[in-house]
Amino acid sequence: MKSILANRWLLFSLRIILGGIFAYAGAVKIQTPQTFADSIAAFQLLPPQLINLLAMALPPLEIVTGVMLILGWRKRLASFAVLVLCIVFLVALATALLRNIPVDCGCFGSSQPSHWSTMIGFGRDILLTFAAYLLYQQRPPAPLAADVVAE
Amino acid sequence: MKTNTFSEIGRDFGGLLVLATIALTAGILINQFRADPIPLVYASKTARLEKAVASVQNAKPAETEIAPETAGPSEVRDIDLGEFRDLLTKQNALVLDARPEIFHRLGHVPGALALPRDDFESYYQKHRTKLESYKNRTLLIYCQGSSCEDSHLVADALSHLGYLRLAVFTGGWNQWTQEHLPEEKQ
Repeated sequence: MKSILANRWLLFSLRIILGGIFAYAGAVKIQTPQTFADSIAAFQLLPPQLINLLAMALPPLEIVTGVMLILGWRKRLASFAVLVLCIVFLVALATALLRNIPVDCGCFGSSQPSHWSTMIGFGRDILLTFAAYLLYQQRPPAPLAADVVAE
Repeated sequence: MKTNTFSEIGRDFGGLLVLATIALTAGILINQFRADPIPLVYASKTARLEKAVASVQNAKPAETEIAPETAGPSEVRDIDLGEFRDLLTKQNALVLDARPEIFHRLGHVPGALALPRDDFESYYQKHRTKLESYKNRTLLIYCQGSSCEDSHLVADALSHLGYLRLAVFTGGWNQWTQEHLPEEKQ
């Protein structure tokens, strides 16, 4: 099992998919900051002073880390950033589920807030967290990474 | 796979902090160049709508001031699909779509006017003449479905602007399309 999870091509695929998901999610959210800020506010976790700042900062961060993952540039840092973001999203979604608050996760733009969509977002985030963890643990250079080519 | 040491993780946290700072700076700069930038401190949907209502009231021409006996918010009723269709046909009510304008363009209840919660002020001004002719007539408001709050927020805003007969179709666009009822596109 360990050897499968450490397979270079599996890790390469994961890196491209995860990078693509993050870059796409950031690109969608950056267009509608107010809608994204409303999604963040619905979680009832942050004070008003921090909500809009997070709504402004998160999409560029997702785009940058997504592109870094796709290019394979500083992929250790990029996978660490994605892992931390996934864990933060997981905690936020878990608290919403525990408090029975129907939220629009805001992951890929606006959708209707519901417990069902929160559950789906939570499940999807578990998979993304696992993928990010595998990439972060990766030590041998993945094929076609920009920094490998540079070497 | 090897385990990351604490010092490596600490270094990664430092890198993440640098990335986050760059992202925040970029985000603030991008926001400043938007046509409609968001403020640094968040205002709730209700607070933003209250501000839009106040702005509409301030822009109100003197001859359309609300009479004292009708001033003050009226009650907003929730209605189901059957009553919605009844009011639509029998009372010739005006239907208002509180969803974001893009969704209205993609499809709406025939004859419905766009009055999106997130751009209330400009759309109210756009439809002002028609809307104010319905001050004492029935206005039916809907949004996406039972879990959206936009229809109630818009109904409350209209109530504060002196509209007397307001009803929210709670099933919204979801129920309308599930029943395969006619759609209009713009």
